[in-house]
Amino acid sequence: MPVYKLCMKITKKNIPHLLIYIIVFLIVSSIMAVTAQKSHKEQETFSRVKTNIAFINEEESPLIEGLKDELGKAANFVELPDETETLQDALFFRRIVYILRIPEGFTQRFINGDYMPLEKTTIPDSYSSAYIDLAINKYLNTARLYIQQMGGITQEELVSYLKENLSKETNVEIPYSEPEADLNYSNYFFNYLAYSLLSILILGMSALMISYNDRDLKRRVGCSPLSDTAANLQFILANLTFAMVSWLIMVVFCLIIDAKNSLTLNTFYFIISSFIFAFCGSGMGFFIGSVAKGNETISAITNVVVLGSCFLSGVFVPVEFLGSTALKIASFTPSYWYVKANNRIAQLTHFDAAYIKPVLSDMAIVFCFGIAFFALSLVIRKNRRYS
Amino acid sequence: MFAHIFNYRLKCLLRDKITIFWTIAFPLILAIFFKLAFSNIGNQEVFKVIDIAVVENSQYQEDQNFRLALDEVSKGDSRLFNITVATAEEAKKLLDENLIKGYIIVDNQIKLVVKESGLSQNIIKSFIDNYLQTVSAASTIIQNDPSNQQEILKSLADRKNYIKEVTGTGAKPNSILNYFYSLIAMACFYGGFFGMRETTDIQANISTLAARINVAPVHKLKTFLYSLCAALLIHSVEMLALLGFMHYVLKIEFGYRAGFVVLTTIIGSIAGVLMGALISATVKKSEGLKVAAVLTISMLGSFLAGMMFQDMKYIIAQNVPILSYINPINLLTDALYSLYYYDNLSRYFLNMVFLSVFTILATFGTYLILRRRKYASL
Repeated sequence: MPVYKLCMKITKKNIPHLLIYIIVFLIVSSIMAVTAQKSHKEQETFSRVKTNIAFINEEESPLIEGLKDELGKAANFVELPDETETLQDALFFRRIVYILRIPEGFTQRFINGDYMPLEKTTIPDSYSSAYIDLAINKYLNTARLYIQQMGGITQEELVSYLKENLSKETNVEIPYSEPEADLNYSNYFFNYLAYSLLSILILGMSALMISYNDRDLKRRVGCSPLSDTAANLQFILANLTFAMVSWLIMVVFCLIIDAKNSLTLNTFYFIISSFIFAFCGSGMGFFIGSVAKGNETISAITNVVVLGSCFLSGVFVPVEFLGSTALKIASFTPSYWYVKANNRIAQLTHFDAAYIKPVLSDMAIVFCFGIAFFALSLVIRKNRRYS
Repeated sequence: MFAHIFNYRLKCLLRDKITIFWTIAFPLILAIFFKLAFSNIGNQEVFKVIDIAVVENSQYQEDQNFRLALDEVSKGDSRLFNITVATAEEAKKLLDENLIKGYIIVDNQIKLVVKESGLSQNIIKSFIDNYLQTVSAASTIIQNDPSNQQEILKSLADRKNYIKEVTGTGAKPNSILNYFYSLIAMACFYGGFFGMRETTDIQANISTLAARINVAPVHKLKTFLYSLCAALLIHSVEMLALLGFMHYVLKIEFGYRAGFVVLTTIIGSIAGVLMGALISATVKKSEGLKVAAVLTISMLGSFLAGMMFQDMKYIIAQNVPILSYINPINLLTDALYSLYYYDNLSRYFLNMVFLSVFTILATFGTYLILRRRKYASL
């Protein structure tokens, strides 16, 4: 297989160059997966991690003591001097995520039924601060109920009633043993693969194609006793070999890092899904390599295509946060379906046909994208053969 | 002489389509992607209605208050839940198929059954907690004074928000902005491609054009400085165009100190171009390797400044603070953010001082490498 061998030779020459990318991507995706997994955990477990807050009261009263006790369920209090600069810095570097200030005269006005808000300064869009807001409002609204309905209630009585009322909690039952494996890491890592794998595949394969599409080389292959079909097939085979090797390196890396969770059925499906994606990615690489002329154009197209599809289809920003327009555009890219399949796999606890089916159909779409890319590129190559 | 070199260099650089692509088209495209991807964060739309089920049984039918409370939050456009009333088996099946996030059983107590813990599950739980606690408070009051049930219901309905956001500064904190600011910083440092071209075209052992320029009877550093001016002009104009596009088309806020924002961007552009020059002067190999070095350094810098993942910036600031002061992209991002967020300019100036020191070092380094280079043979 002379064409195949030639391709392997060209690829080997590119190894040092590609290796830099592979290593950088692996490190970046691991860091991202670890941090994303961590923040994911903080938001989502019932036993919430306590948030660090600064509680600054300009006055003391039983009501405020009660509020502080109640908040103590959800927060750690960090002692900080009441200086704007220090507080802002603490907030900036996330030593605290919430500053609550009780203005002077609050208790008296509250008991008189006058409205006076507490002042907060927070990091925007953080879940933990939303919980603190909720707790404060709940406490004060319930307190107001007592004050309105039971005139003359003392602060001490009020606080003890509130303490009793607010200790009520819902019974939560999780009948399924939560999956033993913690799949968040794999989920994020495999999602980021849409970025790293795609970049490497497109870079490596298009570099290969540029060299292969050299006019003289093409003419030489053209006059050899090798049919076009055979040459093309060998060429595709070489591309797939490259794709599979890159895929293997990345998957093995993930399995090693997350070894304790690797032996689950979920991981098995992750691997299948990423395998199909690698196939599709090599189709994309083949396509871009057939369309683009010159190395620089390739890296330009690669970056726009890869970064664009990753941003829109939920690789970097979780799907929940994306707008419907973004998702509609994204559904024309394979990354969207790949990420969708991965997110479903991460949720699987049962592996009956009914639960697997949607996952498989997402994978099938990714596969079809791959076939389409290969078919399109073959058409383009055929048209350009004699130009 | 200046006009001659400057003019020709300007023409030369403007015709380099690839560099123009990387320095202006690519950041513009990324900005549009950012806008598309982040436009929903912080909006009400982010919240998606949660599908839940309630198990139909006699206790549920009898518990009128709970039914009312559930009805209240599952009506209208801003509703919290989509509720299905189902038998116990149906509810279980729905949960199995991931069609609902959880179901509620009203027994002696109210119980929530979920499949896993998660944000939606937490919201359901908070809702029920809240209900239970309010019921408990109301019943305490009624025990003491059974006469005023109606009034209790009325004041229950009237919930007040007791918290006011105080930023301490005029600006509203906005985490999305950091993505756009770091994008501007990245674009500034992509100016490194221009800097790279400048050094490449002055080193006779790297390009043939440089060999031609070197035989001209003009002082080499003068040629370099004049053509660098052309690169700086093009890149600054590009960055201002990017800034304008973000502000006027994508409606990104930059605070009220427009003059400082423009100044920061221009200084950032100078820093970027010179960093490219330094990298290119240091890496004496092929052009491909130089491009890779400029790309990797600016991408890595942007990553650490939080362009791909905003929390990265804080992780660095907390754990490796030194890195946030030597990463020029982070300095630039942070400078823009301080301009937006803080009333006080001290943080901004600190960033700018570090950035200027960085730029001066880069200039000096490039000068040291480029000066007095002679080629015996090529």
